[in-house]
Amino acid sequence: MDPVVRAGVIAAFALLSSAVIPALAADAGDHVAAVPIPAPGAYSPQGADTCLGCHNDASVTGIFRTKHARPNDPRGPFGHGGLQCEACHGPGGAHVAAGGGPPAGLVVFGSKSPSSVAQQNANCLGCHKANAARDWSTSAHASSDLACAGCHKLHVEKDPVLSTAGQIEVCTSCHQAQRADLAKPSHHPMREGTMACTACHSPHGSSGPAQLVKNTVNETCTSCHAEYRGPYLWEHQPVTEDCTNCHQPHGSVQPALLKMRTPFLCQTCHEGAGHPSIANTPQGLPGGTPSAYLLAGGCINCHSQIHGSNSPSGRALMR
Amino acid sequence: MRTIARFGYTQALVGIGAALMLAQASRAEPGPDTSAWACTQCPFAVGYQGDVELGALQANGANATFGRYTGIDHSTVYADAGADGQWRSADGSYANYEFERLGLASRDGTVQGGREGQFDLRLRYDGQPTDLYDTGASPFRNDGGRLALPADWMAAATTGAMTALTASLVPVNIGFQRRTLALVAQYFASPHWTLFGEFSRQEKNGTELSSASFLTEAVQLPQPFDYVTNSFNAGAAWAGSKASLRLTYTDSWFEDHSDSLSFANPYLPLVPGSTEGRLGTPPDNTLQQFAASGTAQLPWLATTLTYAASIGSLRQNAAFLPVSTLPDASVPTPGSLDGDVRLSHYAIGLASRPLPKLSLRGNATYDGRNDQTTPLALPYVVTDTFPGGTALTPRYGEDRERLDGGADYAFARWLRLGVGGQFLDVRYSPGQAFAHSQDVESWARATIAPIDNLSFTVKYGDGLRKASALNVAALPAGENPLLLDYNYAPRDRVFTTLTSTWAITPTISWALEGYLAKDDYRSSTLGLLASHEQRGSTNITWMPRDSLSAYLDAGYQRLYNMQTGYTDADAPPWLVADTERYWSMSVGGQWTASQRWSFTMDYLHAPSYGDIGSDLGGLSQAFPQNWSRLDSLRLGVTYRWTPALQLHLRYEHESYNSSDWALNGVGPATVPNLLALGIQPYRDDVNLIGLTARYQFGLPAGASRSR
Repeated sequence: MDPVVRAGVIAAFALLSSAVIPALAADAGDHVAAVPIPAPGAYSPQGADTCLGCHNDASVTGIFRTKHARPNDPRGPFGHGGLQCEACHGPGGAHVAAGGGPPAGLVVFGSKSPSSVAQQNANCLGCHKANAARDWSTSAHASSDLACAGCHKLHVEKDPVLSTAGQIEVCTSCHQAQRADLAKPSHHPMREGTMACTACHSPHGSSGPAQLVKNTVNETCTSCHAEYRGPYLWEHQPVTEDCTNCHQPHGSVQPALLKMRTPFLCQTCHEGAGHPSIANTPQGLPGGTPSAYLLAGGCINCHSQIHGSNSPSGRALMR
Repeated sequence: MRTIARFGYTQALVGIGAALMLAQASRAEPGPDTSAWACTQCPFAVGYQGDVELGALQANGANATFGRYTGIDHSTVYADAGADGQWRSADGSYANYEFERLGLASRDGTVQGGREGQFDLRLRYDGQPTDLYDTGASPFRNDGGRLALPADWMAAATTGAMTALTASLVPVNIGFQRRTLALVAQYFASPHWTLFGEFSRQEKNGTELSSASFLTEAVQLPQPFDYVTNSFNAGAAWAGSKASLRLTYTDSWFEDHSDSLSFANPYLPLVPGSTEGRLGTPPDNTLQQFAASGTAQLPWLATTLTYAASIGSLRQNAAFLPVSTLPDASVPTPGSLDGDVRLSHYAIGLASRPLPKLSLRGNATYDGRNDQTTPLALPYVVTDTFPGGTALTPRYGEDRERLDGGADYAFARWLRLGVGGQFLDVRYSPGQAFAHSQDVESWARATIAPIDNLSFTVKYGDGLRKASALNVAALPAGENPLLLDYNYAPRDRVFTTLTSTWAITPTISWALEGYLAKDDYRSSTLGLLASHEQRGSTNITWMPRDSLSAYLDAGYQRLYNMQTGYTDADAPPWLVADTERYWSMSVGGQWTASQRWSFTMDYLHAPSYGDIGSDLGGLSQAFPQNWSRLDSLRLGVTYRWTPALQLHLRYEHESYNSSDWALNGVGPATVPNLLALGIQPYRDDVNLIGLTARYQFGLPAGASRSR
């Protein structure tokens, strides 16, 4: 890391520390405008018991089979001292006082809700901003004004997005290009429902590129494909840099998720005197002069150790 | 080296210290008096409930194409079994289990137990088959890890002259099984503190497709392999009302249970003694990382800070193989690489909403790959055939700094505008072809909602990547001086996206997504010159009620690449244009017709076409078209016999066909200097019928749960 940049990072941390800590220590009040502290009496008289007096159908009570309704968990809304239904939906005192009707003042979740995305998310982030959704605010999903309830269903026993197959349905309902990619001839086992999007991506944000779960593309890929981690004695520079130089992780019509087929993929980089530059034409197909440069594995027929070699004689990635 | 490491630790410690002080500074918000909130009406889950599923699947026509990830790879009857259950006591103790696809190699299961708010333990198993090819055949036999040829093998100069080849061929299946077992533990020390740990062991073994050559003569090999990756991570997380911190230590070690693959030379040796080859296999390696990350809510302008810091090292020190199988070959000195790559990652993000209609966000990220491995000058032998001299092992490192950010402003209910961009600066370590590259992208976005429930978002952007001059002198000795790496090459990029959603009626919604991108490498005279992409997809859903829904999806993608090269300096340039087109169309839905009957249907049609044209000295020639066509129909009928018992009938038909000129008709002896496995393009025509019964335990009378 460049010393200037390094010094800058250290200075930034120090500056933020010195600026933030006194400000928080003073704690002049809640600065999260979206979640104002309600006035006393704004809540319902008896919490969930009040709500369940009317809202007692299965579409509501399903939440009692979920993690959000655990009476012995002090971290949850139904733990001791928790705000129960109103932890998420906001103070319901006015709604109760009005004898029901339009849920004025309450936060209602879902795409057809009168509550804004910011209002909905603020109540979720009130608890989750420090753990599962800690990177939410700087994420692409936040930038796109996505609501938590756009993906999550909290009043059903099993939130579909938390199951592998259900998650793929939820994610690809927006990410249509990826939905199409998953049906390509070469793909990860997602269409088959045995690998989830979250194996690689963190939908709540991350400090990695493309909201990856790891710091880099390569760290993400090699968390499963550890055999390619290296370091090898002989390395292939594009491999050490970024797996997506050659591979399309969401799906490809080429074998092995490749961006192009060999030998043409290899020839996007390797040119010049010698066989890397050979013009591969249909003459090299069966019926002509069958060419090992072109058929079966193409370049890989000889340079099989394309991800790196630990053989002393692996200089050209052939051993 | 030490200085860099020290600075890395310093940065991490500064970040951690800042977050910990933040933790001390934060306070809990006051809440209402909930002492009367007894929750007497709350139907908390207590007791045991579960279900078990048992049945059979009859597969006809299944092969590796269909079974690649499902494990249904041949025509037979498979058990279809699963179970899940939950037990929970009034004091918060609980135990859950869930098992799926127990009769298939893709089975998985989880057993979980703990006490609410105190601890949670989870044991997870995940099986993942990967069947790749079942159409190949080879004369090689696995003889204790060495690929041997039959005793009566007659070596020859070409595959066509290998007289014992046909009689020696035995079918080979290329594929492997991945099994992962993980134990995850969490201890909730307080509402703010969580301690966690996870140990996982992943075993991956089977046969992969490999290949090797003896200078000009190549052979495809069914290579057995057996890998194990153990990983351990543990740490602590603190979550306050305004800040959080998560510290994690990760240790992962990869073991390859073979250090090489030896194989007999099926050809007449080009030099005396060149009768056997030996491939290196992935070396054992370890990864250790220490990471800190978290968030802090700043007291100004509704601003949130996120941060992450990670330092680690990637090492391997596997013993070197002898340089060659040739007589007198010895293990070079030193006897191992002592590879050491330092990985570092630092990131800061800020998101702010200074005005109700204005949101800002920005991220600064640094990723370092500092390869501290000492380059070695090693003698090498080319393909176990002849000495190649001595070469220096190149090492590749990079410093990657990325700044990205954006701003969005909601001018009106119907109009929201945004701008953003990214700056990526990569500095490569000495000895590489390029010293650095810079990639700048910017974009503008407009979201327009002309009427309620209809919105369009248009995004346009462009980018420019620049690179330092090619440093020919820095290339390793013997490297092709005209190497032109497209991942370094200067590039112009233009991209446009259009997305639209429209809730046409309360029950019908429509979505559209389009994408155009053009990458042009205008400074390149060799290699990749252009790469263009066009995508479009649309989706319409109809959901008149929860019990009935239907969808229709359609998508199209076109990829175009153009590249050029010279066979030699005096020859005319060759040009190759590659165009791939891909469609996908799917339709389906679900209908719960009554308390007893429900139906599902999904149909997918996905063809692809690949056209490659070449031009050599003005002579244009087209490769045969590569194509694939997938048709998949899935039907399901569920009959609820009693509240506790349901029957599920499943029918699935998949037809997959493809053509690939690299594989079509390429048998073991088709290419004179390539002893191939004869793998053929993917094809299947499968019918799958399954009948299962699911019985539910512990449900209150009349209750039902849907899965």
